Amino acid sequence: MVLEGAIIYSNLLVLLALGLTLTYITTNVPNFAQGSFAIVGSYIAVTLLRIFHIHPYFSLPFLLIAGAIVGFSTYLILKPLVARRADVEILMIATLAIDLILLGTIGAYSEILSKIVGFTQAKFVFSQLDFSIFGIKGIFFVSIAVTLLLLFCLYLLLYKTKFGTALRASMENPDLAETMGINVEQTRAFSWALSGALAAVAGGLLPFMQEIVPMTGDIIIISIFASSIVGGLTHITGALVGGYIIGLSESLITYYLSSIFGTGFLVYGKVVALVIMIITLLFVPSGIMGINWGKRPKK
Amino acid sequence: MIEVRGLNAGYGKLQILFGIDAHVEPHKITTIVGPNGSGKSTFLKSLFGLNDIYSGQIIYKGQDITRVPPYEKVRMKIAYLPQTGNVFVNLTVEENLKIAGYVLDKARVKERIDVALSVFPELKKILKRKANTLSGGQRQFLAMGMALVREAEFLMLDEPTAQLSPKLAEVIFQKIIEMRDQFKLTILLVEQNAKRALEVSDNGYMFVSGKVAFAGGAKELLEHEKFEEYFLGISGS
Repeated sequence: MVLEGAIIYSNLLVLLALGLTLTYITTNVPNFAQGSFAIVGSYIAVTLLRIFHIHPYFSLPFLLIAGAIVGFSTYLILKPLVARRADVEILMIATLAIDLILLGTIGAYSEILSKIVGFTQAKFVFSQLDFSIFGIKGIFFVSIAVTLLLLFCLYLLLYKTKFGTALRASMENPDLAETMGINVEQTRAFSWALSGALAAVAGGLLPFMQEIVPMTGDIIIISIFASSIVGGLTHITGALVGGYIIGLSESLITYYLSSIFGTGFLVYGKVVALVIMIITLLFVPSGIMGINWGKRPKK
Repeated sequence: MIEVRGLNAGYGKLQILFGIDAHVEPHKITTIVGPNGSGKSTFLKSLFGLNDIYSGQIIYKGQDITRVPPYEKVRMKIAYLPQTGNVFVNLTVEENLKIAGYVLDKARVKERIDVALSVFPELKKILKRKANTLSGGQRQFLAMGMALVREAEFLMLDEPTAQLSPKLAEVIFQKIIEMRDQFKLTILLVEQNAKRALEVSDNGYMFVSGKVAFAGGAKELLEHEKFEEYFLGISGS
């Protein structure tokens, strides 16, 4: 039961951390609005549910597109800063500002939606809509299937297409990529769209496991950053490893502590994520995938 | 082939090049020599559009390309090989060759890769290896092979023999000559290995402190009375 929840949570963290790592590699932007990207997805899903009666599982393809638009629009705002190679602090503050704007917009929107449907949408869950197989929640299977499918598509895109090779080339060395005739700007914009799409899908699934309020994005952003940093911010595969480490330890350690010391400890889940992040930064600052595992370039 | 008039360029507020006039003849090897910090590498970067140009004009085949972005210049068959970081280390040799043909259609890329492998047969055995496992010489072969894949007509090389053994450097020089003769490439070379580079070149330029100190035939430059003086300065640095 606890493990089930931990795995669901980890799957969603992987999707969110992947996006964060991706845009960090391509544009050097640490995106503090990544959590709110997800909540935008959650609110689109709840809108489709309440007004058009579309089950959240079926709105996932739509969320991919809507999320891509959110990600791409964010990049358009940040583009002048990226183009003039602004310091990472400035980029960080810019994304914090975008996050606040999103938070305000989501909050206002939730009020409007409440008026339209006649009951409050300032907080909601989807768990009552879920199915179950042998007592295991549907979201367990769906989150695994969706994450695997998206990872597989991402793998095909990055390793089996010409554009994917160009994308990897631009990530590694944008200047050189430009000398090959690759439009690096295009690959950057694409990575933001992709990041937004992954986040929105995660956001569509999140209400199946926890209650959503407009602020939720700013709470999960801690775990998203922890995942990317623990895995290694400069490696896409790092998001995968980091997402599972943070997702599992955050859920399992908190559960273990609360079973000993009382349920008060459940509130401190994020502390676990932060502690692991700090340990990583102190001892392996480049993250788990950043470690050179015995591979040395031959002279 | 390429005509440069009154080029003033640098990085932000730091001006490196002062009123450079230069001319690169088609199907020939032109080498720029000069002491460290004389602006040789900056000149190549400026031609390709990787730094700031304050004023002046760059004319390529009769067209003004001063403000054309690098990825557009690739379509005009201009190639630039930086001194370091000239291959993608996280991609395999094969992926590197393919990405070099990014602007070409699929069938053409295949053809061009075969051409590149015929000039650099050394690469055939290591196609599946990641570029970060290659030796310095192999990397340089790959970088030059990539220039052939993208059908470059005008090729700029920034110190291709740097950090290579004299024996390997000689191989690189022979490949450069081969590329000129076999594919009629126009080559603009920047070299620390000044004497040997000028011996294989048709024309030569000497840059000193961001200005042209000599322009003419490579032989003339080698025999120029001031050459030894500058050259000693170069080899001593």
